[in-house]
Amino acid sequence: MFRAGALGLVLLAGWMVYLDAVVTSRFEGRRFEVPSRVYARPLELYDGASVSAGSLVRELELSGYRPGDGVRAGTYQRNGGRFVISTRGFLFPDGEEARRRLSLVVSGDRVSSFSVLAGPSAAIVRLEPARIGGIYPAHREDRVLVQLEEVPELLPLGLMAVEDRRFYDHFGVAPLSIARAMLANIKAGGIVQGGSTLTQQLVKNFFLSREQTLVRKGNEALMSILLELHYDKDDILETYLNEVYLGQAGTRSIHGFGLASQFYFGESLKDLAPHQLALLIGMVKGPSYYNPRRHPERATSRRNLVLDEMAEAGLLAEPELAKQKSRPLGVSAKPSFTENRYPAYIDLVHRHLARDYQQEDLQSEGLRIFTTLDPAVQHASETAVSKTLPKLANADELEAALVVTAKDTGEVLALVGGKDPQFAGFNRAVDAHRPMGSLIKPFVYLTALEQPDRYTLITPVKDQAFTLEFDDGRLWQPKNFDKEERGEVPLHLALSKSYNLPAVRVGLDIGIPNVQQTLRDFGVTTPISDYPSMLLGSVSLAPVDVAQLYQGLATGGFNTPLRTIREVTDADNEPLSRYNLKVDQVADPAAVHLVQYAMQETMQEGTGRSAYYTLPGQLTLAGKTGTTDDGRDAWFAGFSGDLLAVAWVGRDDNGPTVLTGASGALPVWSSMMSQIPQHGFSPVMPDGVQYHWVDAEAQALTGEGCANARLVPFITGSEPVMSTDCNGNIGRQIRSWFEGLFQ
Amino acid sequence: MIKVTSIRFAPLALALALAGCASGPGGGSIYVPMGGGEPSRAPEPPRTAEPEQNSEREPEPRVWRKSEEPAVSEPEQPSRTPSYRESGDALPAAAVTLIRDADQRLQQGDSAGAISSLERAQRIAPRSAEVYFKLAEAYVAGDNLGAAEQFTLKGLSLAGNNSSLQRSGWLLLADIRRARGNVAGASQAEDRARAL
Repeated sequence: MFRAGALGLVLLAGWMVYLDAVVTSRFEGRRFEVPSRVYARPLELYDGASVSAGSLVRELELSGYRPGDGVRAGTYQRNGGRFVISTRGFLFPDGEEARRRLSLVVSGDRVSSFSVLAGPSAAIVRLEPARIGGIYPAHREDRVLVQLEEVPELLPLGLMAVEDRRFYDHFGVAPLSIARAMLANIKAGGIVQGGSTLTQQLVKNFFLSREQTLVRKGNEALMSILLELHYDKDDILETYLNEVYLGQAGTRSIHGFGLASQFYFGESLKDLAPHQLALLIGMVKGPSYYNPRRHPERATSRRNLVLDEMAEAGLLAEPELAKQKSRPLGVSAKPSFTENRYPAYIDLVHRHLARDYQQEDLQSEGLRIFTTLDPAVQHASETAVSKTLPKLANADELEAALVVTAKDTGEVLALVGGKDPQFAGFNRAVDAHRPMGSLIKPFVYLTALEQPDRYTLITPVKDQAFTLEFDDGRLWQPKNFDKEERGEVPLHLALSKSYNLPAVRVGLDIGIPNVQQTLRDFGVTTPISDYPSMLLGSVSLAPVDVAQLYQGLATGGFNTPLRTIREVTDADNEPLSRYNLKVDQVADPAAVHLVQYAMQETMQEGTGRSAYYTLPGQLTLAGKTGTTDDGRDAWFAGFSGDLLAVAWVGRDDNGPTVLTGASGALPVWSSMMSQIPQHGFSPVMPDGVQYHWVDAEAQALTGEGCANARLVPFITGSEPVMSTDCNGNIGRQIRSWFEGLFQ
Repeated sequence: MIKVTSIRFAPLALALALAGCASGPGGGSIYVPMGGGEPSRAPEPPRTAEPEQNSEREPEPRVWRKSEEPAVSEPEQPSRTPSYRESGDALPAAAVTLIRDADQRLQQGDSAGAISSLERAQRIAPRSAEVYFKLAEAYVAGDNLGAAEQFTLKGLSLAGNNSSLQRSGWLLLADIRRARGNVAGASQAEDRARAL
């Protein structure tokens, strides 16, 4: 008997050692997980820096600065346009930015009188970057981890009042509660009551089993005791808050109060009202049974029960109790999975990380991810989408996407994936692959203009209907948008007015394979149709892909890969990877310059001119509208000196709209542009280009003052040989005649 | 080894180009603050107002319908002809500071650090040929001649009619091409430099 007892004890001890190992490793794995931190780009301050006072304030607040005396680190003082800022310093991947006190003036949306009042002197200083989100790579999903000291006090107190009143006193199990529960269970002839402590519930959550057998419960009780031996109460409570199961979204489990707060209310845990906290606490008992979206009545009575318990425990005073009980559930219509302020942007960061990172790199925790997000441009983009869309016709059906990049660096500054920018759902900027329509035309004409002996900006092209007959007998009859025909138009006008017939004619003349090659050179990686309809943009691309294509046009023929990440370091600031600026010349800068000319004309006289309803006339721009059949897609892609942006507006069901690129997408684009101070577009004339005054109708050089005169760039040698006077009298140009003579 | 000797004069040429080209903000491009208008030269009078009105301004696009497409009322008149210019932006002082920092890092053999500084400079002065030539130099030091060649080409596309910049660029390109074994390309670039 004694022996059997001793053997039993040894076995039990061995079993305990095993359970101890299991439960501690699980606990450690959860407890010490540090999320990767994602940062916006740091704001650079220097004399001449482009920033408005309003966006400087917003930027400071995003980085956690408070208005104050400007002397204590992390405070700033503002007096009109004059700022004094005390930075906290920051360890950047390329070195430390010291703590400094800065003085500067913002006037005309520019920094001036920049000086360092205290700290190492510098002509240019980076503010600490704003934290814009966390990525929890080990889970391959977002978790919103909370710390005990940052959650509202009512949450742990209310939780204890309802689930485990003696949490701080027991040693992991509460025999009295268990006895009470057992009694109830025996009476009922089955398990109807839990009696588990929070520690036991946590252990149960670790192993994700709802099965309730006696052996299981015994193991849980043992593990709970072991857990309590290793860790203090606060650690256990905090892990509980982050671990408890609170719902299901498809295949995805909602764990922890932080994520549940986002999922049910779309709000941060720290901002929840008592009745919202009470609902979450109540749901611990049965997240699916008390699901407030599916069973609002059950959820409400459960919530009110929790509120009563809170009041009974002295956590809520009577008048407050009544008030809280009278509130509606306040659950958001759409579930949100993230606390990230910029869900679409962070989504793209995720994809770039997944593309370039091995899983084991992502598993290393506490990464620091330095992104290229510009909070001011992101703010402008979100405002542009959410304020413009409702003003368009049949707004309810419409969706939108907007991508903004820095023109010369390829850095993605802002991304909006839908009309509700805060909503983490279908990311249209990345995933909506739509026919590009007339956005393809600059590439058709670029392919033509790369052959200056055949095409110049003033080459007359036929604007006349025609019919193509395919081998299988099908017919294709392209038409202009306005169904008109103009006989003949100069090439630059065909592009700036976006006529279809000339584009198809030029494309067929230059050859579809050559146009396809141009598109591939500029970054199209998906298969491109061989049918002539590709010349009118049957190629489907997502807005970010269009931004990538247009980057090459905006930079004079240099492909610049789009980036959302500058650098990733580990927690100790050791660089893991760097995403450097790359440029790759893919087209003759001279030919691209000619296309840029026509794209500027688009904004001045062509399909993009309504941009200047919103934008100041001095802001020189280049761009292109795109509209697909029945207005299913409204596109606008264009650039200033600093920014390149692509806007798309359409319906998720691909239905028709009454919109065009100019009436649907351009207003969004212009609205964003109007909120950012920036430089106008004025390309440097590349090698091998000359400007001449020409009379396109006469196909001849002419005098500057003549009525039909237009200053047009030509690839050297392709300018007209003839010249005309203001009256249209053609004569051979003397200079070129002499040049011919002596060559 | 060939590489080291063959690019010996490029930094010198650039140092010359850099001297005296530090300029005011914008470096030549036309800056348009929100709402347009010339940036005021004098600092704003001290105010204690809330964040600027125009920064919080909500744009009010009209509702356009297809039937209105041919604009009835003309928008604000933009400049009449497409814009271009003869030369790129001059370097603002902050960019010059970063380039000097990059030079120091290069001297210490830290080409990755130099590239970091130069990328900061490039974000501030993305239309200055010098920044790209410097990036090319840093990539030569980091033994990435392919990238170096591309950055030189990009710099050349912004050199415009500035013949000393053009000359620096073509000579740099010739050195890089020779180091890559592209003799014909190198002498072509040298011819271009000589023709200036």
